[in-house]
Amino acid sequence: MSDTRTPSSCSLALTVNGRAVALEVPAHSLLLDVLRERLGLKGAKRSCDMQVCGACTVLVDGAPVSSCTYLAVEADGARVLTVEGLGDGDTLDPIQEAFIEHGAVQCGFCTSGMLMSARALLAEDPAPTRERVAHYLRGNLCRCTGYGKVIDAIVACGRRQEARA
Amino acid sequence: MNVRRALPVALPPAALWKLLWDVPRIVGCVPGCVEAREIEPHRRYAAQMSQKVGPISLSVPLDVTVTEAEPDRRLALQARGRDPVIGAEIAMQVTLGIEAQGETSLLHVEAEGRVLGKLGALGHGVIQRKAEEAVDEFGARLQRATAG
Amino acid sequence: MLRPFALYRPTTLPELGELLAEHGNDAAIYAGGTELLLLLKEGLLRVRCLIDIKRVSGLDAILSEQGAVTIGATVRHRTVERSPLLHERCPLLARVAAHVANVRVRHVGTIGGNLAFADPHSDLATIGLAFDGAVSLWSRARERQVPLADFVLGPYETSRRDDEILTSVRLRPWLQGTVGAYLKFGVYERPTLGVALAVTMSPAGQVSEARLAVGCVGPRPRRFDDVEQQMIGATAADLADAAKPLADATAEAVDTVADLHGSADYKREMTRVFVRRAVATVAARAAGRDLHERYPHTIVV
Repeated sequence: MSDTRTPSSCSLALTVNGRAVALEVPAHSLLLDVLRERLGLKGAKRSCDMQVCGACTVLVDGAPVSSCTYLAVEADGARVLTVEGLGDGDTLDPIQEAFIEHGAVQCGFCTSGMLMSARALLAEDPAPTRERVAHYLRGNLCRCTGYGKVIDAIVACGRRQEARA
Repeated sequence: MNVRRALPVALPPAALWKLLWDVPRIVGCVPGCVEAREIEPHRRYAAQMSQKVGPISLSVPLDVTVTEAEPDRRLALQARGRDPVIGAEIAMQVTLGIEAQGETSLLHVEAEGRVLGKLGALGHGVIQRKAEEAVDEFGARLQRATAG
Repeated sequence: MLRPFALYRPTTLPELGELLAEHGNDAAIYAGGTELLLLLKEGLLRVRCLIDIKRVSGLDAILSEQGAVTIGATVRHRTVERSPLLHERCPLLARVAAHVANVRVRHVGTIGGNLAFADPHSDLATIGLAFDGAVSLWSRARERQVPLADFVLGPYETSRRDDEILTSVRLRPWLQGTVGAYLKFGVYERPTLGVALAVTMSPAGQVSEARLAVGCVGPRPRRFDDVEQQMIGATAADLADAAKPLADATAEAVDTVADLHGSADYKREMTRVFVRRAVATVAARAAGRDLHERYPHTIVV
C-alpha cells in the first residue's frame, strides 16, 4: 500500500511464482524492472517497450499484463506468475512440453510471453479452438516461427488437457 | 507539413508590407506565438511558440531568419527551434507573397515544415491539421486587426 | 525507466478533487495507465505526481436503469467483454470490447481512460456514438453530462476541463429489433478505420431508426445524420440495394486526415469500402441471414 507520508515510495507484499516477496520500491518502478533487476527473473523481456509485442507478458492474479508498461505497485497483494514459475523443478509444464513437441520455439525471445499468454488462455478456456488461440495471442509477436506451430502447440495442449479431464 | 493559403487582407500592399515588420502587432496575429523580439531589424528575430495537443504541451524558442525580402511583394523566412522538455525539433520555411487587389491585398502564405523527434512521429496526423488551423487563424486575426 | 513521481490513491471524489486542485498541471489522472505510462516513458509528458482513481468508490460499476446503461470510468475493457448485463443490453459494445487493442491492454485499460485520452485511432468512442453515449464529468464545483459528440473535440482533445474527472459513460441501449455491426480495419496495433452501423427494423420490416458512426480516419469519430435519414423506411432488401450509394454519400462527407495509417484519399476510399460492407452485412442480418463472405474483425449482433 502506498504510504501517504512518503507517496514516492511504496512497500509491496506479493507472491512471485508461489514465493512470498516483500519489497520497498519507488512509485515509478515498472513491474518488468522489478522482476528482472530486483528479483533476478530474466524470463520476461523488454522488447518493444510499448506493450505491443508481448515479450514482457507476465500474469498478475491470472491476468496477462505488459510488465513493461505496468507499475510495480499494482502488483501489491497479488500473485504474480512468470515463465520461471511454470513447471516444477525438472518437470516441465504441459504447455512447455507442447511447445517443444511442436517446434514452437526458435530464438526463444518471444517464448516466455507466448507461454504466459497461453497459460492465461488455457485457464480461461481449457480447450480453445485455433481461432480463439489466434485471437488471444494476437498481441504476442514472433519474428521466427510464423505462428503456426505456436498455435498448434497451444491447441494440442488444450486437447490433451481436455482428454485428461 | 505543408500549408498553402491565400488570405484576403484589407490593406494595400505597401501598408501590409509595413505591418509584417511591426513585431508587436504581428505577434498578436500568429496563433501560439507568446512573444517575439527583433534581434537584427529585417534579418533576425526570436520568438516563443506554445501549443497544446491534448495532454502534451509544446513550448519552443524559435530562431527566425529572414532569407528574402522584396519590398511590398515577397518575404521568405526560416524558423528553427527545439523544445528541451519533450525533445521535439521544429524546422520551418514560410513564404509570404503579396498580391495587389485594388485597395486591398491577397496574402499568399506557403508554410512548409517538419517536427522531428518522438512527437513528430506520434503526432503526424495532428501536426498537419494544427498547422492548417494555425494559418487559417492567422488569416482571421489579420483580418480583424486590419478591419475598419 | 520512468522519471520519478509520487503516487496518490484517494478513496473519494472530494479527496481526488482536493489533490487535483493542489497539484494542477503537475498531476496526471491514472487509471489503467496504458496510455499515460507510454507518454511518460517517451518523455512527452512530465508530471510530479499520479493520482490513482481506481480506489475511488463508485467508479467501477456497470449499472442498468430504465432506458440507459452506465459504465464507470475504471471499468476495464475485459470486464465489459464479460459483462452479462452489457451482452444483454448493449451487445455490440460487449462484443467489440473483445477486439480492442490486445488481451493485455484489455485486462488493464479502462473505459474512462480510453475516452478521456481520445486517441483518434480507437474503437470505443465510435461505438459510443452509435449508442448516443454521454460522459459524466465531475469537479468540485459541479457534475455535468456531455454527449460524446461534444466531448471528443479532436485528436487527444476533449472538452474535459483540467479540474474535471470523467466518472462514467451513459449509453442508450438499442430497441428490440435492432441489427448492428461493427467493422474495423487496420494492420497496426491501433485501428485505421472503424464503422458502427445499427438499424432498428419495425414489425412491418422497415428501418425506423438508423445509426452510422465512422471513426479513426479523421480528427474525431462522428455520426452521419444525412446518410442515416436516407435509410429510414427501407426494407432489408432496399438496404442491400442501397449499400453503394449510402457508402458513397458517407465517403463524400467524411473528414479524413493523412497520417502514418494512410493518405486522406486512402481513408476516404476505405470509408467507402467499409460502409458498403457494413450496410450489406446489416441488411443481410435484417433479412434473417448472414453474408457468406466473412470480413475479418466484423462483429454482428
